[in-house]
Amino acid sequence: MRNALALVATGILVLGIAIGAWIVSRPPVGAGDAIAFEQALTSPTTSGTPSIPPTTTSPPEDRPVGTPDPAASIPQFTVGKYPETRSRIPVTLHIPAIDQDAPIVAAGVDPNGDMEVPDNVNDVAWYRHGPAPGEPGSAVLAAHVDLAGQGPGVFFRLHELEPGSAISIDFDDGNSETYRVEARTLYDKEELPTAVVFSREGPPVLTLITCGGAFDERVKRYDGNVVVYAVPMGDETTS
Amino acid sequence: MRKLIMMAVVFALAMVPGTALAQSGEGTVTVVHGVPDLAVDVYVNGDLTLSDFEYGTVTDPLTLPAGDYDIAIRAAGADAASDPVLAQAVTLPAGANATIEANLDGAGAPVISVWVNDISAIDAGNGRVTVRHTAAAPNVDIVANDGALFSDVPNGAEGVADVPSGDYNVKVTAAGDASTVVTEVAALTIPEGTNVIVYAIGDLEGGSFQLAVQTLAGLQAAPNGVPTGTGGDLGAAMPAWFVAMLAIAGVLIAAGGTAGLQAARRQR
Repeated sequence: MRNALALVATGILVLGIAIGAWIVSRPPVGAGDAIAFEQALTSPTTSGTPSIPPTTTSPPEDRPVGTPDPAASIPQFTVGKYPETRSRIPVTLHIPAIDQDAPIVAAGVDPNGDMEVPDNVNDVAWYRHGPAPGEPGSAVLAAHVDLAGQGPGVFFRLHELEPGSAISIDFDDGNSETYRVEARTLYDKEELPTAVVFSREGPPVLTLITCGGAFDERVKRYDGNVVVYAVPMGDETTS
Repeated sequence: MRKLIMMAVVFALAMVPGTALAQSGEGTVTVVHGVPDLAVDVYVNGDLTLSDFEYGTVTDPLTLPAGDYDIAIRAAGADAASDPVLAQAVTLPAGANATIEANLDGAGAPVISVWVNDISAIDAGNGRVTVRHTAAAPNVDIVANDGALFSDVPNGAEGVADVPSGDYNVKVTAAGDASTVVTEVAALTIPEGTNVIVYAIGDLEGGSFQLAVQTLAGLQAAPNGVPTGTGGDLGAAMPAWFVAMLAIAGVLIAAGGTAGLQAARRQR
């Protein structure tokens, strides 16, 4: 009898340890470190910030109207052209490491001011107001981790991508380009660095975004974004 | 979302005579030529900075140190010492984005207009359209995709509105008379994050009326966020070690329970 009670007690203890360990150890899905990568992106040497660069030209001095300033070094005006058009857009995304091949659709902004994401859990959205992949700045591809009623989405396993993983994109001009994952991280949604993620300046970066972190059943919403940064490998191929 | 700013002739940058404001930093200046039939040379502080500038053209923006500038406009090739056709002293504040325009007033006389361009951030997904009436022409209405955008705009005034980015059919009509179309642009592209500034220039009766377009890009804001999941499937799967421990616990409890029951039965 005592042995039986000991067995049951041990079983309950193991159960308790298991649940406790799971709660304590369960890492936020997709967590990683992208701070160094983002800092490199936003450092003044690699990114043209909107601020005006310093000048060595001194302001004009007080002098009578119409008198030429001998020291003046006023740059010449030039006549430019308008408008510029986009050369190509991405159409298909391939991520072999998580067995995903998905169509890319152009997306803008929804009525809430958020990035538009497709209704179809199997589509990937490209933020069409920002750069296309390979252009200067951060080209953003977003897809659902999952959708109520549709199940897991294209980026369900995005959090599994590790630095070094390959991502390739087919463009509408028939060419393809491969990117190498540099960093992955998990942000609270309120702390997503949108200025970095949606930057239109700096070196070309491919930024993949989906949801992650804890799920709030009451509002059917994840509290975080998984962000993966990748850079072009410079192996553009024509298919 | 739509804001309408009507201003009488904008001389917000007008000269403070004879003084150089002690300002650090820089401003941005664009020049627009809206006086028909006159190629010009533009002098800034006595230096020739733009030669043989043609009617209807717009320069690229130029970054200049903040401060006072003397703008003088002479007929193309005229002697630098000759009396200018137009002259104006302008103060460029630090951080300002200004357009200096030579254009016709309502009566058809050449003037220099100084405009302050709206370079405040534009919500993600939107562009900005600015319309400036600087032609010798009556008041006009601006109609975009058959909806009124700006109404009863007089010479020297502007309208500014933020609109969803895209192509717009834009008509300039006589004020209050939609049937009298002065000019029509089949597809004016308003790119996201860009202020597209349209100048009506020239002389309507003289036949030189036309539009000139200046664009100021890079005013975009990022979207608020990326909502990409409502399913709650992520992280629902239990790790293998957790499943194994559950199994061990189950076996122990079952074994203990069985043994306990058997012991109890024996004791009866």
